[in-house]
Amino acid sequence: MRQLSATRKSVLPLIGLLVILGVLIVCPLIMVFAEAVISDGRLDFSGAWTMIADSGNLQTIWNSLRLGLCVVLCSTVIAVPTAYLLARTQLAKRRWLDIIFMIPFMTPPYIASMGWILFMQKRGLFQQLFPSSGNFSEKFFCFGGLVLVMSLHVFPFLMTMMKNAISNIPASLEESGAVFGAGFGRRLRKIFAPLLTGNYAIGALLVFVKTLAEYGTPYTLGRRIGYYVFTTDIHRYSTTAPIDFGRSASLSAVLVAICMGLWLLQNHITDRCSYRLVGGKGSRPAATTLHPAGHLLAWVWAAVVALAAIGIPYFSIISTSLIHLRGYGLTPGNFTFAHYAELFTTPKSLRAIQTSLFLASASAVICSALGTAVVLAARRRKGKLGKAVEAVSLLPEMLPSIVLIIGMMLFWNAIYKTIPLYNTIGIMVLAYVALYLPYTVQYVTSAFAQINDSLMQAGRTFGGSPSYVFRRITLPMIFKGILSGWMMIFIIAFRELVTASLIAPPNVLVVSTYINREFEQGSVSLGMAMAVLCVLITTAALLIMNGLSGRKERKT
Amino acid sequence: MKKKILSLLLAGCLCLAACGQSAESSSNAESAPAPASAPAGSAEPVSLSGKVTVYMPSPSGLADKLAGAFTAKTGVEVEQFQGTTGEILARLETEKANPAADVVILASWSDGLSLKAGGLLESYTPANAGKINKGWIDADSTLFGYSASAVGVIYNTTIYPELNADWAELADVRYQGDIAIPDPEKSGACKDFLAGFSTGTDDGEDVMQSWADNGLTVPGANKAALEAVTTGEKGILIAGVDYNAYSSMARGEPLAIYYPATGTVVNPRPAMIMNTAPNMDNAKAFIDFLFSDEAQELVAAAYLLPGRSDVKCDNRSNLDEIPQITTDWDKMMEAASDIAAKLNAMCQ
Repeated sequence: MRQLSATRKSVLPLIGLLVILGVLIVCPLIMVFAEAVISDGRLDFSGAWTMIADSGNLQTIWNSLRLGLCVVLCSTVIAVPTAYLLARTQLAKRRWLDIIFMIPFMTPPYIASMGWILFMQKRGLFQQLFPSSGNFSEKFFCFGGLVLVMSLHVFPFLMTMMKNAISNIPASLEESGAVFGAGFGRRLRKIFAPLLTGNYAIGALLVFVKTLAEYGTPYTLGRRIGYYVFTTDIHRYSTTAPIDFGRSASLSAVLVAICMGLWLLQNHITDRCSYRLVGGKGSRPAATTLHPAGHLLAWVWAAVVALAAIGIPYFSIISTSLIHLRGYGLTPGNFTFAHYAELFTTPKSLRAIQTSLFLASASAVICSALGTAVVLAARRRKGKLGKAVEAVSLLPEMLPSIVLIIGMMLFWNAIYKTIPLYNTIGIMVLAYVALYLPYTVQYVTSAFAQINDSLMQAGRTFGGSPSYVFRRITLPMIFKGILSGWMMIFIIAFRELVTASLIAPPNVLVVSTYINREFEQGSVSLGMAMAVLCVLITTAALLIMNGLSGRKERKT
Repeated sequence: MKKKILSLLLAGCLCLAACGQSAESSSNAESAPAPASAPAGSAEPVSLSGKVTVYMPSPSGLADKLAGAFTAKTGVEVEQFQGTTGEILARLETEKANPAADVVILASWSDGLSLKAGGLLESYTPANAGKINKGWIDADSTLFGYSASAVGVIYNTTIYPELNADWAELADVRYQGDIAIPDPEKSGACKDFLAGFSTGTDDGEDVMQSWADNGLTVPGANKAALEAVTTGEKGILIAGVDYNAYSSMARGEPLAIYYPATGTVVNPRPAMIMNTAPNMDNAKAFIDFLFSDEAQELVAAAYLLPGRSDVKCDNRSNLDEIPQITTDWDKMMEAASDIAAKLNAMCQ
């Protein structure tokens, strides 16, 4: 009897969480599918099908897939060598390189691509710096340029993943290969490649999905070269008159189907190719010492990557933010701090920063609480229900955010009469929470993976009540995971564009929409000044977090 | 020590959460209509209170100033949504089930007419109606042209010191690859010009095609297109909105503008009252305000053509100095969207 009530007690929070996540994530997704297949109150698959099979849409779908594939290839070329250098060679000792290579990821993608455009365009910064180069730089405006810019933004994901995977391969495996007479190439093929396949599949898939979901770069650069993809079309059908939600929903449904299929494929690959490399036993990390020429080459490679990923966009962004009259470009005397002064003196820009700070911190706090609750509940009661809760909470990361946002717009508009949340700042918080919940769940789960259950059992054995055990043992152990998740969410939410441009209520501007508005209707320089400020704020936040968690580590 | 840091961090999080909460609740308080028992305004015959929700297009400086002046005069808070014509229409469509807008201002007369055709507008006779330019109020008194823009040819003076080509002459090989046009599906002014140009002249569409053959590009909405010419990426902007050019020129950018001899389209920017307006009295007061001396001066200062014939501007060409194509707005309204899409297709 007591047993039964205990199980029931542990089921209740799970059901509660399932309801919350259902309203937050599942209902909007169902709305998207419903909108796609229901017309005039009747189920109508043929309508959705004709819409999808429309030649224009097929072209869009093909464009997206082609772009995703090329970006995966291109970012592999950038990320894998860099990861190897940072994991195995003398470069590994330079920890600051890790931070340098995170900068492209912290730069809002629409800003970086704007930087590239301003740099490469006719009479742009490159041609002003090197007038003798003619119109060489304009060759950038092609499909290859788009792939390059997007790869430079996403490669840090793949790089971090590969770097960790490579450092986890103990030296012993490689050495035993060498002892048995395998050459370098053979060791690469027979030891390295199979061990990394699983991780690479995850990384490549993440890059692929992120590319499909990316809106900023296709919107700025892609549109310019006439390359239209899923996200730009969905965004256009749902924000520019004549509005066609049915069409954007159909496209979204296709997008979801593609992503889901890919996740299944990736799961399959990762399952078949995962190996337990990290066990309780200590292992010796491998290190390769490059001879001087190789060492030099390694640094040249790192410098080239850093120049392309950071140097060029930031040169453009910063110089544009300082230019007084755009018509005269980079000429002496044409520089001013006036745009920065304007940022700090107009209430509109200050309000945008405030709103972004509020949204980022509020959604990060709520995500941290909700995500931790999900992980705790799912761990306490493993089984189908727990798995379901966890799976739903991770769903938003597998789907392009624009789909979830379209769903939320449809859903909250439909129930406006009951819960009038649409068109308030509340809906923005809600949307951000739904989008970023997976970060907390992942970080907390991985923090849990490192805790031995015996610690909690010890706490209980010595008579600690569940809440006492949680406060004094569990929470301190997973706190770092929660904090990392918080930080990640803060950074990404601070500069979120798609969500804000779709569901911000009237009168509400956030940093990203402010920048976008300035680009489209105001002053590009002012927009760039805001972009610089935005990056400074997120970098400062990251440094503070690094400092805090670093100090904590030393104390323990 | 560790505990201390932990508790500090937790406290920090709590503070942030609390700040968030208070920011939210205060914004709620703002949006809620003020209680009816609020002390009545001093001299106003009908005392107004609460808020008015206005959707308006750029220039954002003017929108903010109008909103501020109206609030100062009546005490009514103005909630604005600023966007391009396309975005505003989209927002209206999304909110059809729960209308929020009281007053909608668009940058395109033909889009105003299609709102009217959709039966969404309230009829009203604003104060100072007698002083409004001829034809800037429709026959049913639902569209109020409180200001107007015209499109012209804007060029970069560092590339072309002097330019006076007519529309058709811009297809000349001299300008090949150096001409741009705002995206007519985003810029209401450009859309209406193209509609007027192809319905009001004999060879409008042929000229459009010849531009496309001459390497016409579509860099984006009005401002983005002007930006391409300001930075010199392109030399000439066809159908660029004039007030943007005038304000850039006033800042010192190397730009100039002229209206080609064939004529252009002067596009009154309609302010309209939605018949679903939640704050109808405030909406009417806002329309009255748009035709007041104060608002019209603000309009002129933003380099737009004032809606009242008795307000002149000294910083730009006046209405009577601009050559115009004979326009039939009903015809244009029907054709506008198709022509806009056609131009974009030509340029792809």
